[in-house]
Amino acid sequence: MAAPLELYCWKGDWGLPSIDTDSLTVLAYAKFAGAPLKVHKITNPWRSPTGSLPALKTREEGSVSQPSKIIIHLRKQKYNADYDLSAKEGADTLAFISLLEEKLLPALIYTFWLDSKNYVDLTRRWHADNVPFPLNFFLPNRIHGQQLDRLRLVRGDSGLEPGDDIEKELYRDALECMTLLSQRLGSHKFFFGDSPSSLDAYVFGYLAPLVKAKLPNAKLQQHLTSLDNLRLFCSNILTLYFPSEGREPPSQKPSGQADGGDFDHEPHKRRKQLLSALLALGAMLGYAVLTGIVSIQRVQSQQAIDAPHRHRPQDEEDEE
Amino acid sequence: MSLAAEAYVSQIAAADPWPENATLYQPLKDDQILLSDCASSLAVQAYLRMCRLPIRTRCRPNAEYMSPSGKVPFVHVGNQVVSELGPIVQFTKAKGHSLSEGLDEVQRAEMKAYMELVNNMLLTAELYIQWCDENTVAEITWPRYSSPYSWPLNHILAYQKQWEVKRKMAAIGWAGKSLAQVYEDVSLCCQALSQRLGTQPYFFNKQPTELDALVFGHLFTILTTQLTTSELSEKIKNYGNLLAFCRRIEHNFFEEHNREGDAGPASHFPKSPSLI
Repeated sequence: MAAPLELYCWKGDWGLPSIDTDSLTVLAYAKFAGAPLKVHKITNPWRSPTGSLPALKTREEGSVSQPSKIIIHLRKQKYNADYDLSAKEGADTLAFISLLEEKLLPALIYTFWLDSKNYVDLTRRWHADNVPFPLNFFLPNRIHGQQLDRLRLVRGDSGLEPGDDIEKELYRDALECMTLLSQRLGSHKFFFGDSPSSLDAYVFGYLAPLVKAKLPNAKLQQHLTSLDNLRLFCSNILTLYFPSEGREPPSQKPSGQADGGDFDHEPHKRRKQLLSALLALGAMLGYAVLTGIVSIQRVQSQQAIDAPHRHRPQDEEDEE
Repeated sequence: MSLAAEAYVSQIAAADPWPENATLYQPLKDDQILLSDCASSLAVQAYLRMCRLPIRTRCRPNAEYMSPSGKVPFVHVGNQVVSELGPIVQFTKAKGHSLSEGLDEVQRAEMKAYMELVNNMLLTAELYIQWCDENTVAEITWPRYSSPYSWPLNHILAYQKQWEVKRKMAAIGWAGKSLAQVYEDVSLCCQALSQRLGTQPYFFNKQPTELDALVFGHLFTILTTQLTTSELSEKIKNYGNLLAFCRRIEHNFFEEHNREGDAGPASHFPKSPSLI
């Protein structure tokens, strides 16, 4: 128990400790269970020990990546947020997590990655701004492709075009799921009484990005805003367990906007300057090498012309 | 089914009563049907019996391709065709037959959640075992799935199906799981169902709901189907109340119909030597 476990997860924004559902789930669970984690908030999945985020570096079993596995691992380390649950509540937890995965996740993927307006204006932009330089050109497109594939396979449709019909179907399922969650939560503070459990972590992970993200196309969000208890549930967890994140956005936003012109784009400007300088240098070097090759070839050809004379064994022997 | 079609269906459905000649289509019982399809089909049959709606069962080798969603089973009622349990429940509800009317909001939320649990874990585990476990694929799945087709088509279709299922497993993060982990998941799911059922006759006490039909369909099929090993059914046999639950539903909704001389549909349904 000497060094704390290390957790790698997606960086936060929009007043959230992380922008990714799975990362949020794990972070929330760790807070609920009081697990001391050393959290690395990164934007490059290739830096993570498993190649995907979130990932927990453990001492015995290497690194684990899926939220359910991470939670099981934390539980083994005696950081258990579900200690007080009865067997039936444990069963309910499993059932509602399945409900989230089957009904809400496809709609979330659709909202963030496939709805073209949201994808271009928010998701891709965020990734392009935050993911480090060479990756930001293709990583968003790659994730986009993966998510599209995933949705296609889960639904079992081969021809999945982001259109009205599919959107309505996914959103209908998601709305039903959120309504069911809201009914299950009722006026309680958490799903099972007064202390949070793993189900609360999952629900928070799924809903918080939807509450906080500024989506241009906000159909799914609108329904969530009408479910007061779920919205309150998310903001409660944010203020109780992530107080630093809750306070940051107001102070961050103005500074971000005020200096947006200079500070936000500064690295890009420098990057662009560096890039163009490198490009110019490359062109000049290329030209130099090109002309250099010509001159070298001339020297070689001169040598080649000379060589036959020298190459004659007798000559060489003579020289020696 | 698209939304427009669905709205149309529910409008039309409300007008007509349930016809006598409603038919359920599934793959061939003896030579072709696979564990997961059999479970889904049995779930629908159990649901319709709980609603006291008469249904005839027909086996067709191309049932999968007849179905509007590509999944079996599907029912042909009047001039409507509806596939899978979820939409069929909606459909019967539009016709005024529902099992979950008496539940309150929280119970309905729990019922939906447990139904997703069964789909998410049991159904996926069945698919995993029948398409990703090499022994099962070679001994059971491949011969059965390709039985109606002749030479090159049998290989092509079975390969195509296996490829599709494997990609789906990869997409939901199951590709890296070992068989032992899948059994572990099944065990976890059964434990949750057993805890939830407790000592009640049905999941929501006295009245059966669509959740009971779904759970029965899957558990009963797993218990009565011979696989390469009996490990899957052993996982369920650890939970006495689930076994009793299966027997109860079989007794109340299937044997009773047999005695009434309504033998047609019941004979399409596997008898239960392993349950006793």
